[in-house]
Amino acid sequence: MDFINDYGLPKQTHEIFAIMARGHFISSNGTKDNMGRLYDIINQPENFEKLQNYFNVIRYNIERGSNYFYFSKINEPNSVIEKKLETFERYVDIIDLFASMDNKITIGARIRPSEIAEECIANVRLKQKLQKIPLYRSETLVNKVREICELLARDSFLELEDEDSETYKVLDAYNYLLEVMNAISIYEDTENNTDNSGIIYN
Amino acid sequence: MALQVNIHDILTQLYVNREVVEYLFAHRDNISANQLVAATSISTEQYQKLISLELIYEYEGMVFLNDAVIALFEDFMEIGEVTPGLIQDLLSELRRQMRYYQEVHEIRFLRGIKKYLKRIHSTISREIIKLQKNVDETYKNEANFRIKLQKLEAYREKRDLILDFIKNTEEILEECRKIFMLSNDAELYNIILMLKAGLIENMDYLIEIQTDITDFINKIQYQLDVYVKVQQLKEIKDQGNLYFRTNFRQVVEGLKPLRLNGIRGPRTRIAVDFLYTDEGHALSKKFAEKYKISRMMLRGLAGKLPDNFKEKLIDRQIKLDVSNLVDKFLAQNQKDLFLFIMETKFPKSAGEITFEDRLSLFVEIAMEHEKKLEFQYTLAPYEYEYNGEKRKLKYTVILPAKIQKRQPLTVNW
Repeated sequence: MDFINDYGLPKQTHEIFAIMARGHFISSNGTKDNMGRLYDIINQPENFEKLQNYFNVIRYNIERGSNYFYFSKINEPNSVIEKKLETFERYVDIIDLFASMDNKITIGARIRPSEIAEECIANVRLKQKLQKIPLYRSETLVNKVREICELLARDSFLELEDEDSETYKVLDAYNYLLEVMNAISIYEDTENNTDNSGIIYN
Repeated sequence: MALQVNIHDILTQLYVNREVVEYLFAHRDNISANQLVAATSISTEQYQKLISLELIYEYEGMVFLNDAVIALFEDFMEIGEVTPGLIQDLLSELRRQMRYYQEVHEIRFLRGIKKYLKRIHSTISREIIKLQKNVDETYKNEANFRIKLQKLEAYREKRDLILDFIKNTEEILEECRKIFMLSNDAELYNIILMLKAGLIENMDYLIEIQTDITDFINKIQYQLDVYVKVQQLKEIKDQGNLYFRTNFRQVVEGLKPLRLNGIRGPRTRIAVDFLYTDEGHALSKKFAEKYKISRMMLRGLAGKLPDNFKEKLIDRQIKLDVSNLVDKFLAQNQKDLFLFIMETKFPKSAGEITFEDRLSLFVEIAMEHEKKLEFQYTLAPYEYEYNGEKRKLKYTVILPAKIQKRQPLTVNW
C-alpha cells in the first residue's frame, strides 16, 4: 500500500479499480460497495487527475459521464461488434418498454419487477412490447421483467436495493444508455419514400 | 412528552436507548415493530417503556421516533425539510426588538437584537445547506418522476423565498443603520459585519442552487425527450430499418466501455510457485474435480515422514552390509551362495531377517557382484516353509569364482 501513499493516490484506488476494471460504472447515487463515496473521491479534481495518470500507465482511461464514471481501454481496437449491436438492439427494446410506461423510469426511480409486470398485464400495448423482447426466460411476464432487471443490474445500470421486496434503484449510469440512444441520428426520409408516412410516434 | 421532566432525564433516556434511537432515526420513513425488535437488542418490556415515555410511538404496526427528537437531530445535522418560514419569524422578532430599542435605549433590547441577528445568520445558512442537500437528494433518489419534478419546482419556490428574506434582512440592516451607530456597541458591529458577509456568500449559494435545480429539471426533461426518441428508434427497428435509416451501427461500434467490448477485467494467471503450496494443491484438486481429471484427483498429498526416518536409514545400512557378507562368502568354499545366505546367522543388531529379505539379498548379490561369482547354470532344489506349509523352489547354484587357480596371461612378442 506504500506506493499509494508515494503517489498521493486516494486509499480507495484499488476498490475503484476493482469495480471499473470489471467493466462496471461508478454512479453517484449507488449505495453498494460504498459507491457514492467512491464517486465523490474520483470526482475531486486533484484525485481525478492523479487516478487518470495512474491508470493511463496500464492503459485504462477513466471516462466521465453525467454523474458516473467508467473505464475504457487505450489503444485497444473495439471487438465483438456483432455482440455489441445485438446488446444495444435489446436495449432499444427495453428502454422503449420503460418509455411507454405510465411512471417513466428516470434516475433514482425504484422499480420492482412485479409492479412492471402488473402494468404490462393491464396494458395490452406494453404486454406485446414485453413479449417481443428476445430473452431466455419467457414462461411468465414477471420472470421476463425480472430477467431484464437482472441484466441491467449486471451491467451496473440498476442496483438491487432491497432483496426482500426485490426493489431495484435506477443509477446514474442509466444516463449512459440514454445518451447513446440520443447520439443515434435518424436520417430524414427522402421525398419519394412514402412507405414510412404512416409511422405513429407515441 | 412524558420524557420532558428535565434535560438530564431526556439525555439519559436518549443515551440508554441510543441503539433504538439511532436505528429509528436511520429508518424514520417506515419501520415495523417486528423489524425494530429483530434489528436491535430491545426487549418487549423496554419497547413498552419507550412507548410510555413517548420516546417512540406506534401507528398501524409501524414505529416512529418522537418528532421532537427527529427535529433535534435534523437541526444538528442540517438535514430535513427546508423551512424558510423560520427566517420570516426571526425577522419579525428582530423588527419588534428594534422598535423597543428605539423607544427605550435599554441594554436588554440590544441583547435581543444581537440574539436575533445571530439567529438569522445561522438559520439562513442552515436552510440553504438543507435546500442544497434536498435538491440533490430529490434528483438522485426520488422514485416517481412526476413527484420529482414537483418537488424540484417546490424547492425553486423555497429558494426564491429565502432570497426574498435575504433581501429583507439587508433592507432592515440598511434602515436601522442609525440605530446601530447610536448604540456604539462593538459586538453588535461585528455581528452585523459577519451577517452582511454571510448574506453575500449565501446569495452566491442560492444562485448555484438555482442553476442546479434548472439543470436537474432539464435533465429530467432530457430523459423524457430521449424516451420519445427511443420509441421512434423502436418503430424503425420493428420495420427492420434500424441499420438503414439511422447511424445505429456507427454509434454502437464506437462505444468504449470495457464490458461492451468483451473485456472482462484484468487477465491474470496463477503463479506456478503457488500451485506447489498446500493452497495451490487444494485449488488444483477443485479444478480437477470440475473438469473430471482423475489422474490429479488420485494423487494426494504425500504422507508425513516419520520423525525417526534418519535412524531407520542407518539401521537398514547395517542390516544390509552386503559387501562384508560377500567377502565372507568368497572366503569359504563349502556352500553355494543361496545356501550360504539362507543359513548365515545375522547379528541381532540387524533385526529379524525374513525369508523374503534373504531372497532379495541373493538376487542383489548375484547381480551386483557378478564378476566375483561363478554361475554354474544348474538348478538346485530348496525346501522352505511359508505360512506353515512346505514349499519348494529351485535356485541357480552360484559359487565363489576361482580366480586364484587361473594362470596369469602371458604375452608373446
